[in-house]
Amino acid sequence: MVPLSWYLILAAALFCIGVFGALARRNAVGILMGIELMLNAVNINLVAFWRHIGPDQMTGQLFAIFVITVAAAEAAVGLALIIAIYRQRNTVNVEEIDMMKG
Amino acid sequence: MRASDLIHLLPELILLGGAALVLLLDIVWLRRAEERRRQLLPYVALGVLLVAALGLIPGGGDNVSVATMLVFDPFALFFKVFALLAVALIVLLATPYMQTRTPFSGEFYALLLATALAICLAVSASNLVMIYLSMEFLSITSYVLAGYFRQDRKSGEAALKYFLYGATASAVMLYGMSLLYGATGTTDLAGLVAGLSSGAAGQSAWLVTPAIILLLAGFGFKASLVPFHQWAPDTYEGAPTPVTAFLSTASKATGFAILMRVFLVGMGAASMASQWISLLVALSVVTMTLGNLTALRQTNIKRLLAYSSIAQAGYILIGVVAVVSDSTRIFTGINGVLIYLLAYLFTNVGAFAVVTAIEDATGKLEIKDYSGLVRRSPWLAGLLFIFLISLTGVPPTGGFLGKFFVFGAAVQTRMWVLLAIAAVNSVVAAFYYLNIVRYMFFVPAAEEGEPIRVGRPLQGALAITAVVTVLLGLIPGPVILWASESARSLLLALR
Amino acid sequence: MNQFPLLSVITLLPLVGGLILLALPGARLQKWWALGVSLATFVISCLLFVWWKAGEAGMQFVERLPWVPQFNIQYYLGVDGLSLFLVLLTTFLTVLVILFSWEGVEQQLKPFLALLLLLETGMIGVFVALDLVLFYAFWELSLIPMYFLIGGWGDAHGTYNFLGRTLSWRVYAALKFFLYTFAGSALMLVAILVLYIRGGTFDLLALQQIGLAPNLQFWLFLAFGLAFAIKVPLFPFHTWLPDAHVEAPTAGSVILASVLLKMGTYGFVRFCLPLFPDASRQLGPWIAALAIVGILYGALVALVQKDVKSLVAYSSVAHLGFVMLGIFALNAQGVAGATLQMVNHGLSTGALFLMVGMLYNRRHTRLLADFGGLWKQIPIYGFLFLIVALSSAGLPGLNGFVGEFNILLGAFQMNRAYAVFGTLGIILAAWYLLVAVRQMLHGPLNKAENMAVRDLNVREIVTLAPIILLFFVIGLFPNLFFDKINPSAQAVVDALNRPQPIVSMAVDSER
Repeated sequence: MVPLSWYLILAAALFCIGVFGALARRNAVGILMGIELMLNAVNINLVAFWRHIGPDQMTGQLFAIFVITVAAAEAAVGLALIIAIYRQRNTVNVEEIDMMKG
Repeated sequence: MRASDLIHLLPELILLGGAALVLLLDIVWLRRAEERRRQLLPYVALGVLLVAALGLIPGGGDNVSVATMLVFDPFALFFKVFALLAVALIVLLATPYMQTRTPFSGEFYALLLATALAICLAVSASNLVMIYLSMEFLSITSYVLAGYFRQDRKSGEAALKYFLYGATASAVMLYGMSLLYGATGTTDLAGLVAGLSSGAAGQSAWLVTPAIILLLAGFGFKASLVPFHQWAPDTYEGAPTPVTAFLSTASKATGFAILMRVFLVGMGAASMASQWISLLVALSVVTMTLGNLTALRQTNIKRLLAYSSIAQAGYILIGVVAVVSDSTRIFTGINGVLIYLLAYLFTNVGAFAVVTAIEDATGKLEIKDYSGLVRRSPWLAGLLFIFLISLTGVPPTGGFLGKFFVFGAAVQTRMWVLLAIAAVNSVVAAFYYLNIVRYMFFVPAAEEGEPIRVGRPLQGALAITAVVTVLLGLIPGPVILWASESARSLLLALR
Repeated sequence: MNQFPLLSVITLLPLVGGLILLALPGARLQKWWALGVSLATFVISCLLFVWWKAGEAGMQFVERLPWVPQFNIQYYLGVDGLSLFLVLLTTFLTVLVILFSWEGVEQQLKPFLALLLLLETGMIGVFVALDLVLFYAFWELSLIPMYFLIGGWGDAHGTYNFLGRTLSWRVYAALKFFLYTFAGSALMLVAILVLYIRGGTFDLLALQQIGLAPNLQFWLFLAFGLAFAIKVPLFPFHTWLPDAHVEAPTAGSVILASVLLKMGTYGFVRFCLPLFPDASRQLGPWIAALAIVGILYGALVALVQKDVKSLVAYSSVAHLGFVMLGIFALNAQGVAGATLQMVNHGLSTGALFLMVGMLYNRRHTRLLADFGGLWKQIPIYGFLFLIVALSSAGLPGLNGFVGEFNILLGAFQMNRAYAVFGTLGIILAAWYLLVAVRQMLHGPLNKAENMAVRDLNVREIVTLAPIILLFFVIGLFPNLFFDKINPSAQAVVDALNRPQPIVSMAVDSER
């Protein structure tokens, strides 16, 4: 059986990649993908912990399913916002979306 | 969960039904109706809020836990009343404003009711899963509200930035939650404190600090604490003004409510408390200082109020870090936070009501556009002055009461350095608040303008906020009692 | 008699009158209404004097109601010999100031008068409040109207670049005034909270009994003292004062100099000495030394002023130094003399500002060099100005002398060197005032503009006459006043020298 720590390391790595993507990407869709990676890291964590702690309690699984669902809703709203911006300015580069400063 | 538990969920159910009703009314009945009948919609929304408030009476605050997910205690009750009040005021603010700017004002009110529902759930949530779900519910509705003017570039930009920062913050927070779950095997707040402080303490104690930091990203985002505040200025400036008022008061208060519940209930053990307290002290100092210093050089009034709102979050945090477990004390820290938030609600919504009135009439939002306001509209200038001195913390206003209580708590716990920094900060803040006063009263207007017409609903909002702001300073007794009583249920969890 | 809430009426009447004023139409009616309200307030406040119980040191006309009962905050008013005359001074000068403003305030008369009345409420409240929260509320309340008076009705000339913003001078002065005072009061608020957590009450008289550890007293004294020192202003916290005085409209300058500054000195006597006796003894000599520096500095700077209004402003720094010296002589003579001197300075400097304002209304200049030989042209003005200047300089027979003499006697008992420097200050005061008199009134009447100046009219003489009458009353019958001041001053000093019971209030913090 694969030990817990492997899962955690995988999740941590995934999370870090996601954070990097969210911070370094200039394309709004790219940032959104980074965020999705972070959420998937969370899901791996949750399911791995659930398996490790005791499968009779469904908390971890449940949490993961909620995260997946909500992430979908979030992505839907986020993409809608990105499309609205794209229609206005023909760009989704966050560096060019800078009307307000100060 | 039993059927009888539903009585506690009455306000939430009413809000849910009400939001659906507003949406339906808008689509089925009002969309093609003439203009006059469509103006009924905000009053329907107000009616729903009123009924929801009545729904709080049967099962509001009697310390019941439902389905291990929600707890109905006086603390939650306080914030539910708070949320209903806040959303009602926002409805008043939005009423002429939104209808003249977008053809889709029906959904707007439905979304506002949904945010009230989200806040009601969030402040009752006693389980990490529920906290995540309700916060995300609030966030997603807020993203849409911030970007409500689809044709407006600023509004779209505001929403996008809010969304990107918000989604990142919530993902970071979730990672922290997953670690906590792994360490304790539970997501229940009460179980969390037991799991972290007992048994497996040796293995999981190291987890507390990273988990706190990760969680803070989520809560700090909602409460606009530095360094999770970057979204706030742009979003506040770009979002429709009533939405900005909402984000800076109700949404911020929710962040604080969750932060207090998670840290006091979930990590209330003394060994953990010392960790998050020292972390929050640092956040408080950075938040108020950075907020105030940046506010000094703002020229847009919404942006200025955004930075001021960040700074105020720093003051509020003083109450959280100065918490004492003894609920017989006068200053328990938490009651200071509640009082401050309530005073800030009326003060800041009032300030935004004036901003809305002026924006509605002139479309202008720069501070220099407020020149000579006293000649043009003495009432608006006078009211904004009241709100500004309340933000400064001058008696007899609610803002003073709030400062009095959080400073009192800090004195009680002997946080002298923090107090000194806060005192200096409040003088800095006085400077930029007075700068607005200076334009309104002392700088002559560039051009003569008509007196500003203010619609009835907005007049109502202005009257309520101004009267309450002053009354909180003159007759503070009842609110102090209410806040202290509400804080007690949380303090019991602190060990 | 005790049933009648005399102090509340005096305190709140101007506020109510000011609010009604806002609804009144027509400048004429507004002026008469404001005058009527202030006059009524003054007449009622004279009842304090009439119904005074002689020889009593404690609080009289006490009113006490719970305000926030859960937290022991009270609506608690009272006067004793230390505050009686300051209340009377406030009500008296407000009448005169409104009378002065009959002409000359061209625009926005209604808010101007309303602010004056609001300010009166704030100032009286400060002098009669015996609950710390109430006191703090009135303290801040007096700040806001003054801010508007300076910023809204001050002299519009010049700009100042401050933090990247171009402010007109008067707005800069108003802002400086506000921020200085607000900074001081922020610390005071913290100190009030510390006292509350120690003593469990905001009641000033009860807090005097709790006995604080000397170390804590030291810090609290500094926190309160800074707020008061800024207000006084004690050297080196005086830098806001010349700006505020020079920029303020005459009415504002009069109120500022005569009453608002007294809130600082009064604060020292009422709060710092009784609440922190050990710290007062420990820090007293240092503050007295600062007061001496203020006396000499103010006098020397006044000597070189070209603008007569800033001359008067700097003379205030010097005079208030005397008051501080009297207080921190820490004996009954000094405290009583200082208390009377607060009133004297209020009258003399108030009258000086009024007269400068009257001249300014005619000539629209305040530069000493623009005047000369005015005595020939306007003899009534010249004569009255001379009396006022002599009163300010402390000529025997006039009011200034009585106060300064007692202060110097008090200072002499404490430390002879202080008295010597103080006397030097009096000489300097006579010098700069006589220089001003000479440059304005004597010499050749050689400037064309000065030859058309009209003398004082009846209204202006009526405005000045009561003050000048009081100069002589105080100067010739000082015991009329000392009789009422002395018992309270003695009580303050007695409490100061009584060994304090150190009761450690076990209200320490724990989580």
